[in-house]
Amino acid sequence: MGEVILTMKGIDKSFPGVHALDHVDLEIRKGEVHALMGENGAGKSTLMKVLTGIYSKDEGTITYEGKEVTFSNPREAQAAGVVIVHQELNMMGHLTVAQNIFIGREIMSGGIIDDKKMNEEARKLFDKLNIDIDPTETMSRLTVGKQQMCEIAKAISHDAKVIIFDEPSAALTEAEIEELFKIIRDLREKQLGIVYISHRMDEIKVITDRVTVMRDGGYVGTLITKDCTKDDIINMMVGRVIYEDPKTESTVPKDAPVVLRVEHLNAGKMVKDVSFELHKGEILGFSGLMGAGRTETARALFGADPKESGDVYVNGEKVEIKTPQDAVRCGIGYLSEDRKRFGIVVDKTVAENSTMASLERFMKGIFINKKKEDQVSQEYVEALKTKTPGVDQLVVNLSGGNQQKVVIAKWLVRNCDILIFDEPTRGIDVGAKSEIYHLMNQLVAEGKSIIMISSEMTEILRMSDRIIVMCEGRKTGELGIEEATQERIMHAATLRN
Amino acid sequence: MEKIRNNAVVKKIGFNRLVLCGILLLMYILFAILSPTFLSYSRILSALNYAYFLGFLSLGVTFVIATGGIDFSIGPVMFCAALVSGQLLTKNEWPLIPCLVVSILVGTLFGVINGVLVAYGGLPSFITSMASMMISKGLGSVFTKTQSVSWPQASEANGWYRNLIRLKIGGIQVPTGLVILIVAAIICAIVLNKTRIGRYILCIGSNREAVRLSGVNVKKWEMLAYIICGMLAGVAAIFFVGAYSTVQPGLGDTYNNEAIAGCVMGGTSMSGGLASIGGTLIGVMIIALLQEGILAMGFQKDYQYVLTGVIVLVAVYADIRSRRRRN
Repeated sequence: MGEVILTMKGIDKSFPGVHALDHVDLEIRKGEVHALMGENGAGKSTLMKVLTGIYSKDEGTITYEGKEVTFSNPREAQAAGVVIVHQELNMMGHLTVAQNIFIGREIMSGGIIDDKKMNEEARKLFDKLNIDIDPTETMSRLTVGKQQMCEIAKAISHDAKVIIFDEPSAALTEAEIEELFKIIRDLREKQLGIVYISHRMDEIKVITDRVTVMRDGGYVGTLITKDCTKDDIINMMVGRVIYEDPKTESTVPKDAPVVLRVEHLNAGKMVKDVSFELHKGEILGFSGLMGAGRTETARALFGADPKESGDVYVNGEKVEIKTPQDAVRCGIGYLSEDRKRFGIVVDKTVAENSTMASLERFMKGIFINKKKEDQVSQEYVEALKTKTPGVDQLVVNLSGGNQQKVVIAKWLVRNCDILIFDEPTRGIDVGAKSEIYHLMNQLVAEGKSIIMISSEMTEILRMSDRIIVMCEGRKTGELGIEEATQERIMHAATLRN
Repeated sequence: MEKIRNNAVVKKIGFNRLVLCGILLLMYILFAILSPTFLSYSRILSALNYAYFLGFLSLGVTFVIATGGIDFSIGPVMFCAALVSGQLLTKNEWPLIPCLVVSILVGTLFGVINGVLVAYGGLPSFITSMASMMISKGLGSVFTKTQSVSWPQASEANGWYRNLIRLKIGGIQVPTGLVILIVAAIICAIVLNKTRIGRYILCIGSNREAVRLSGVNVKKWEMLAYIICGMLAGVAAIFFVGAYSTVQPGLGDTYNNEAIAGCVMGGTSMSGGLASIGGTLIGVMIIALLQEGILAMGFQKDYQYVLTGVIVLVAVYADIRSRRRRN
């Protein structure tokens, strides 16, 4: 670690009704990777937005390269060398890689965009970073991981001295994360200051030098990463102890009946001859790399996408599932990985979302029985500990974890016995995560059965009774939790045939 | 400003709707100052005549727009319904009641066609309704052999349907149409806000996929929105002839735009998911008043189009602004 390049001191920021930042400090040195951690809503993003000029601060000072600065917009910050790589990629899919990198500052010759020159420059940039991407390739044809690399390259091409990564690994595969880390280490070598925001505890240990923890808009403390344990950081984040120990044995009785049997399911390119069984009271983990076909399997099973062939048996009886309606009628509920697109209706209320799948139960004649609807929704708000001012609150105003609970409530109100949870804790903070784990355990204890698709190894090992591993649309492994290890799962997840 | 906005009563009614009411009132005062005859009772009745049929069209299309779709066929469908039923009444000498039913059925039929094609066939609503606009226009014309149809006057036999919009009680013209329109609007508001149809229509407009993945038969509910819209276009036909008695084939397109404008002015979002029946009603009143005011001042109808266009832009801009602030 070198000298200090950036200091934020006593940063204070309020929005109407919310004290978003309460005198927060942050210090970044040259050649360090500095983790910024905290639950969702802790103020990490707000702090970074203040730094890059998206928000103005109410109080406090920012010192950059020895001088006090105030960036009034992201362009100014960029020009000074402070850039942010956003969680959501801001790429135009139909343009080439080089065109994306030079967007807004195209290299011109004689009033015409010089694509050849831009390709050359982009190639030089990639060489410098040891990234293997063809600048002339169309952006949308790259994997999410490669797109992320382009975003980083674009950030660096601005002559960055401080780079902020906002949850860069959220959509990456293990291999891509490795590649990302290689680049980050490289940047550290080159004496850049790096801020790394992530919810993944394992990554923090691997890649960062120091950790600054925030909680509820306040500064909690800064630690040297190698001197602290995961539990230390988590405790600082939540003020309570959370155990992330793997499950050691299945809690499902040996003679538990099979509630769902899928035989030889085929759907498109991503689901090839998938068969499995789900027992009553079981959490069946679906592991695999991104693009292994797990979500596609779930969607085909649920009737969200058409399937080509395959039989589905619910409680031993063969059922015909062609639409989500059929699936719901069979008692199957599906919690999508993409909450905003497929889970909730954001500009409707908590109550309206909770009863979405079972509205016919809330009718009085032709009218909706609003009183009963509110009452039942309220019951589930309390049971799931959803943080909301009331059931009339619009879902868009809730945090990710609470939105997820509303989707879960929707299926519980419907009283589904088979629940498919697709990445149930994606983009959710640690506290809400452990609540959702707790809830899942409670549900299976009540006799419900859960299929849990997850890309997080720790989650799979912590929650599942049995694990199915997929690779390229095929089932490549099935492990009891007693025999499952990260290595064995990874081995099956990369079994290509 | 913030204070007024956050007042409980204002919030309940909706700030934008209050602003619209203000515009309505202001326009009325302005026209009264500019044109001395504007305050007369007959002018009011005349403005209301325009508001009735437009109101039914606008109420109907509100349901379709709430799903995120659009229906450009309502004007010509209304004319088609009036032509077909009028032809049966005057040339084929059908009794009145069946003719009124036929009018509603014709509208409903086009609603069913639009609904099935959009919801089940997956065609874009823009294209579907544009096609049925042309089809209804042509069919109406064919049915009457390109003759215009004149419905009977109030004094003639079969003329009592005119009492639906205006009833003479003790020498005073009572605008019964207004009562019926308001009752219809209340029913629409109840359907939209208190029943399953309305709930699903609004949710489909917000996030169709999420509703589908909740196991809801989205196609059925989406289709119903178009059917309601078509049915109300059929009702609108009755109120059109009630006010103007003569229907010419090959017209009706301009009323699409005015009905949609009224709806949008009232705060219904073109992207779906948000709709206000009260707002639609006020929007329609503004357009009706505008058209009457322009005529009272001796200008041509074309000026009304210009002003309607400007008001739509202002209303939609204000709506988008207020929504952006909320996010």
